[in-house]
Amino acid sequence: MMVLGPGLLGLGSLFAWAMAGLPAFGDYHGPYGFVLNRVVVPLRHTTNVVMGTTFDVRGVDTMGEEFILYAAVVGVTLLLRDETRSKQAERRTRRLPNDTARLVGIAMVGGGLLVGLWLMAFGYITPGGGFQGGVLAAGAILLLYVVGSHRDYRPFRDVHALDPLESLGSGGYVIVGLAALASGTAFLTNLFGLGTTGTLLSGGSIAILNWASAIAVTCAMVLLFAEFLETYVVPLEPEDSGS
Amino acid sequence: MSWIPPLLVAIPLLAAAATAGLDHVTPQPVQDALVIGASAATTALAFVLLWHAEDHEVVHWFGGWQPKHGVALGVDFAVGPLAAGMCVVIGIVVTLSLLYALTFLREAARLFDALMLAALGAMCGFAMSGDLFNLFVWLELMAVAAYALTGFQVERLGPVQGAVNFAITNTLGGYLFVVGIALIYARTGALNLAQIGKALAHGPAGGLVIVAMTLLLCGFLIKGAVVPFHLWAADAYAVAPAPVCAVLGGVMTDIGLIGVARLYWTVFAVPFGQGHGVGDVLLWLGLVTAVLAGTMAFLQRHLKRMLAYSVVCHIGIMLAGIGLLDTSGLAGTELMFLAHALLTASLFFVAGILHVDHGLIDELHLRGRGRGCWAPAVAWFAGTIGLIGTPYVGIYLGHGLIDDGASELGRSWVPALLWLGSALAGAALLRAGARIFLGWGDDEDELLGRAIEEDPLERAVRRPILVGVALVAVVLGVAISVVPGLGQRAEYAAGRFRDTSGYAARILHDRAMPAPGSLPVTIQHTSVDSLLYASGATIFALGLAFAGLYRRRMPRALAPPVRVLHSLHSGVVGDYVTWVVVGTAVTGGVWAILLR
Repeated sequence: MMVLGPGLLGLGSLFAWAMAGLPAFGDYHGPYGFVLNRVVVPLRHTTNVVMGTTFDVRGVDTMGEEFILYAAVVGVTLLLRDETRSKQAERRTRRLPNDTARLVGIAMVGGGLLVGLWLMAFGYITPGGGFQGGVLAAGAILLLYVVGSHRDYRPFRDVHALDPLESLGSGGYVIVGLAALASGTAFLTNLFGLGTTGTLLSGGSIAILNWASAIAVTCAMVLLFAEFLETYVVPLEPEDSGS
Repeated sequence: MSWIPPLLVAIPLLAAAATAGLDHVTPQPVQDALVIGASAATTALAFVLLWHAEDHEVVHWFGGWQPKHGVALGVDFAVGPLAAGMCVVIGIVVTLSLLYALTFLREAARLFDALMLAALGAMCGFAMSGDLFNLFVWLELMAVAAYALTGFQVERLGPVQGAVNFAITNTLGGYLFVVGIALIYARTGALNLAQIGKALAHGPAGGLVIVAMTLLLCGFLIKGAVVPFHLWAADAYAVAPAPVCAVLGGVMTDIGLIGVARLYWTVFAVPFGQGHGVGDVLLWLGLVTAVLAGTMAFLQRHLKRMLAYSVVCHIGIMLAGIGLLDTSGLAGTELMFLAHALLTASLFFVAGILHVDHGLIDELHLRGRGRGCWAPAVAWFAGTIGLIGTPYVGIYLGHGLIDDGASELGRSWVPALLWLGSALAGAALLRAGARIFLGWGDDEDELLGRAIEEDPLERAVRRPILVGVALVAVVLGVAISVVPGLGQRAEYAAGRFRDTSGYAARILHDRAMPAPGSLPVTIQHTSVDSLLYASGATIFALGLAFAGLYRRRMPRALAPPVRVLHSLHSGVVGDYVTWVVVGTAVTGGVWAILLR
């Protein structure tokens, strides 16, 4: 503590010194933002410049980030694996006492999924994208657990389906990049027809990469939730399991 | 040949996705072939890349977004011989570790393989990237993979604790780094390193740039386990499985230094290159790290902790090489990186073999148990001699080049301190080897503190594979100093790496950098001073090892400082965070005074 105080003070003053050197609010000089705003829509036909940047101009960053999520899920699976955990043990069924709450909850599952899918599908036209939509869709599936029970959630967390799907999403991103390389252009070059600006058929590779990350993120989040639930939801004692 | 750099990332990442995704589908041998094949292919491509990178910087613009009118929008990999050489040794170490793990780690093998491949791709990307944010992405990817790999043995409390300390400290480093990115971007509006350098060329740098540099470089130094940011390393290495340690200690920790060198010579040499302020701080951090970590290594009895401090000690020497800011120093750092990676990996492999054979990892408990295991013993002693840098063995050539750099700058006291560091760490390893494989010395030593609880390792391993992998690593590592022409090539590579304006012209305006004249293919001779220092360090290490084995009682004067050293390395993560904060503040404060 005696050391931490002065240390924090020192770091804080350094930080304040740095902030004093920042340009004034709204006074942006860099070429990067201006050029991107100008070129992405005409060059890539995506009206959402953020998506044009993350999936095309800086597409390789997003590839790395997708694999950060992938490694995180693999890591959680690795760290929470428990060889002694019985795969057959039934989890405690806990239903919300109030029927109205359950009805509202179930309606929200559908609504959440729909909004998630919309964010994924229209990500390159309006604000949104595969990452955001994927998290939302996975959250909607998690709601099944909240309003229903572990049993209702379980069909959605079949690792035999989720693992390959998640890998398809992450690996698919790399494959799109490699396809461009194989065709003699740079890795992740936008190969496909750019379509009409403002429609779902626009953006070329951006649309495909967007869907690849949507799949990868949805599966990753569902797997993560499932791992945590498996670990922290108390299994029923064997004698209770019939009731 | 500009199609090779993205493959060094794409192949391992695709294989990582495939191996985890096909977990329930494909049989074991197919999976093993896929994993080893992907890693070996990456290594082979890195060799081809090294071949081409010697003639000219290989640049790849992702998505075909080449810079227009000197403005870079896309992300680039820019690979010179130095970065390509790093990728080669990263590939070799990861491939050897995967081979070692074939029988060493059977449970959850697919998840392990996927994380190792993700780390391989991330390290290669980090070594090659020419973009500030992209560097951060690869830094995070390798960190996330490493945290999970460290805590691999989840059924024990120790590994989880070690992984948590590692994760908290390094995540803090990540925060510092990303705040640094934000500051730099706010000032320059650029993320490409060459472009940032160009933007900083005009006008005074000011506080913002100094603080941003502090945050960015300290982020890398935390990753690189430099004193006082080194505390996580011993905790993490002590608990990670041996093949993970080989990758962590061999390449993944040291790679933070490449980040430091890359950022300095592409960006911060532009505003601060006139003076020596940046370099002097790095040099001093390196010197303190080398001597302190060497001492700490001598005070350990847990083999993996001892090796962890040995790694930190050599990282200190390499950082000092960078801190000299000249061609010889950087070339020496590069050669040390190569030799050190292979030798350290082989020592961790031997530690893993001992752990499997005897269920022990403690020097004193293992006394005499290694008698007759001649192959691991040869690997251990050869690796140790290589790490001390005995003339013409292992790190000697790299160390000699750092010496040359220091004496050219008139700092002839630097080599003495650096050789002291490697002699201290080497003495610890020699002492442990003599005790374990020869049965020398006592089985008690009050200097070394209490034993740490040990977990027996019950595994059905194929021992010939483990021993073979360790021997291959040690032979490659020992030979680095006598490869004809390697010294000259390293100096040429370092010269290219330091050419800030040439690099920027190549990246932003696609202008060629000067190709090398013919490089002589001879074994480089080092100065007489280095020869004397290296011989002296070897004799000193031998003497110290003997003293460690046979002295009756610890000299009383040593007791208090030893106690202080042990208590500073407490294992409490709150202390580690404090040291990160204080270290960053002090480093930044010194730079603020020197560079204003």
